[in-house]
Amino acid sequence: MNRLTGLFFGIFLLFGVSWLGLVAYPYLTFAGLRQSKDEATGALAPQGMPGTAAQGARVYAANGCFYCHSQYIREEKEGNDIGRQWGTRRTVARDYMYDQNVFLGTSRLGADLTNVGVRQTDPQWFYRILYSPRSLSSEVAMPAYKWLFQTREIQGQPSVDALKLEGAYVPPSGYEVVPTAEGKALVAYLLSLKKNYPLPEAPEATE
Amino acid sequence: MKETVISEAELRPASRADHRDLSGVDRAIRVPVLIFFGSAVFWLVIGSLFYLLSSSQLFSPDVWWTFPGVAWLSFGRAYPAFLNCYVYGWATCAGIGTGIWLLSRFNGVTFRSPLFPSVAAVLWNIGMLTGVLSILSGATTGRELLEFPPQSAFILFFGLIMVSLWALVILWNRTPGSTYISQWYLLGAFLWFAWMYATAYLVLDIVPAPGAAQPAVNWWYAGSLVDLWFTPIALATAYYLIPQIVRRPIYSDKLALLGFWGLALFGGWTGMTHLIGGPLPAWMITASIVAKVLMLVPVLAAAANFHLTMKGDFSGLSENFALRFVVTGAFIYTAYAFEGSILSARSIAQFTQFTLVPESNSQLGLFGFYSMILFGALYYIVPRLLNRLWLFHKLIETHFWLAVTGLWLSFAALTIGGLIQGFGLEDPQIPMIAVNDLLEPFLAIQNFAALLLVVANLSFAISFALILLISAPVRHRRTAVERFKEASESTEPEVSVA
Repeated sequence: MNRLTGLFFGIFLLFGVSWLGLVAYPYLTFAGLRQSKDEATGALAPQGMPGTAAQGARVYAANGCFYCHSQYIREEKEGNDIGRQWGTRRTVARDYMYDQNVFLGTSRLGADLTNVGVRQTDPQWFYRILYSPRSLSSEVAMPAYKWLFQTREIQGQPSVDALKLEGAYVPPSGYEVVPTAEGKALVAYLLSLKKNYPLPEAPEATE
Repeated sequence: MKETVISEAELRPASRADHRDLSGVDRAIRVPVLIFFGSAVFWLVIGSLFYLLSSSQLFSPDVWWTFPGVAWLSFGRAYPAFLNCYVYGWATCAGIGTGIWLLSRFNGVTFRSPLFPSVAAVLWNIGMLTGVLSILSGATTGRELLEFPPQSAFILFFGLIMVSLWALVILWNRTPGSTYISQWYLLGAFLWFAWMYATAYLVLDIVPAPGAAQPAVNWWYAGSLVDLWFTPIALATAYYLIPQIVRRPIYSDKLALLGFWGLALFGGWTGMTHLIGGPLPAWMITASIVAKVLMLVPVLAAAANFHLTMKGDFSGLSENFALRFVVTGAFIYTAYAFEGSILSARSIAQFTQFTLVPESNSQLGLFGFYSMILFGALYYIVPRLLNRLWLFHKLIETHFWLAVTGLWLSFAALTIGGLIQGFGLEDPQIPMIAVNDLLEPFLAIQNFAALLLVVANLSFAISFALILLISAPVRHRRTAVERFKEASESTEPEVSVA
């Protein structure tokens, strides 16, 4: 019986150490992070996410975007993310301090999205790649997220959000393809992905 | 051939003192174990279909049979559905069933109510069903391996706690005497799993962890799930079945102990290797890399112990299906751990991280190491629970060879394809689209391998349905049992940890 009690405590203690190191430590440390103030401009960074973008983060989760897209930039010596122009500096814990859901991701079948809102600023580009990825390039392997859009009859003026489609993707005349509320939220989220402000702990790569 | 499937080791004593007829124990525990096994097989089939679907979608996103435009069957939902059906449906149900069967056998006592684990099994299935439907409808947490919404997770956790408590009670009221290494692993597994699962949902959903702490907790959980739930369950099974079937005590108790404490010490630390270069303090990631390499100590301890127990006598592999699956799984365990520790090195991860290579390693662990050992366990246990024989050995052969072929084909395709992808991603001159173009043939092979695995799993499911519904009870079992008793007296096994 003694032996089993000792075993019981051993099992708890050894696992408890990893719990302290990998759960309790980051929990307590990252809760104490504060915004950084740029000395030249006085700007605070990072900024919290606008409401629509936060809703969009849930659409991002629901459709499993993070199974193919990552959201972090490695230091130059750990990988060529900066060479690929996915960012100008590595990302650090402070970058994610306001994120309700952190989607670091472990796969890059798709491009890294840490700074996709810097690279692409036009909502139309996002609508098109989500609705008909193959209309941008026939080689793109991304699924088409048709359920984030609806094809509807044009009532009066065409919608400002209506997709500018070409070729086989054009809807019948008198109809337009517009993003649903979910689609709009997702694109608002993607547009908000910008980690291009300076942080003292992550200086820009010098090249 | 049929004879060898059931007659062997019917009464194999778990410890020196244990020479009783254990068919009574099997009868008492039959209902909950069979519910867990039935659920495991059900979720295995569902999970396999989602696996085939999601791997087809990677390869051909617009073909009609991959359901383009159907939200709830899209890749971003089919893939986590596959993962969760496999991990929490098949692997965990089979693990719990095997675990409570093993504990009951060691215990040798039948008075504990089997109602408790039966209710737990039903709860587990309710949690699974609501969880998978939530994923398909888009109500997911967005965290890998923790996709189920908190409501489903709560039901699962409740079921898990019931099983774990039941296991503890069984263990504490066991027949006095020494304990065997399998009991250690099982005690650890049931405590660790409940702990890590509760922590993950508590820290990620109920008192949400701040920013970058989320992925740290998520991958601490994922690493622990593999190394401190699946691994100890599989090792407990192998440590019981291999000596049992070859009728020889385990080679070294000391090695077994070394392996256990090594696992307990390093197992909780391995997860951050998925986040090399990520936004975490460097020491956390370094600690994981070191742990991943040190994990080779318990791995080699187990491998040496199994190998020396078999003593180069591998002839039983062709005759005994259960042994064949278990030994194959044990071999793959070594390969899996070696590859895992190589991939965790920073200089290698630079090229393999974010590619298909880590996926190939996960498959080696889940489809190879763990699933093969648990398939072996089911092939061994089910006939003993039902007192029936497996029908159609061709089906079992098909299962084995297709599973092995599919696994290695998939492994080769994902590894080679992933390496090409990795070198492509490292060169900014090559556009992403071109990198993915290079992957196409490898994804096609992987898709074919997925089909082989599905057929393998279906053969297993058919075998399981047949033994449950059609196979007739064995009539002359008692004589087989008596014959074995005589045999075992002359070669008394000593498989206890003193």
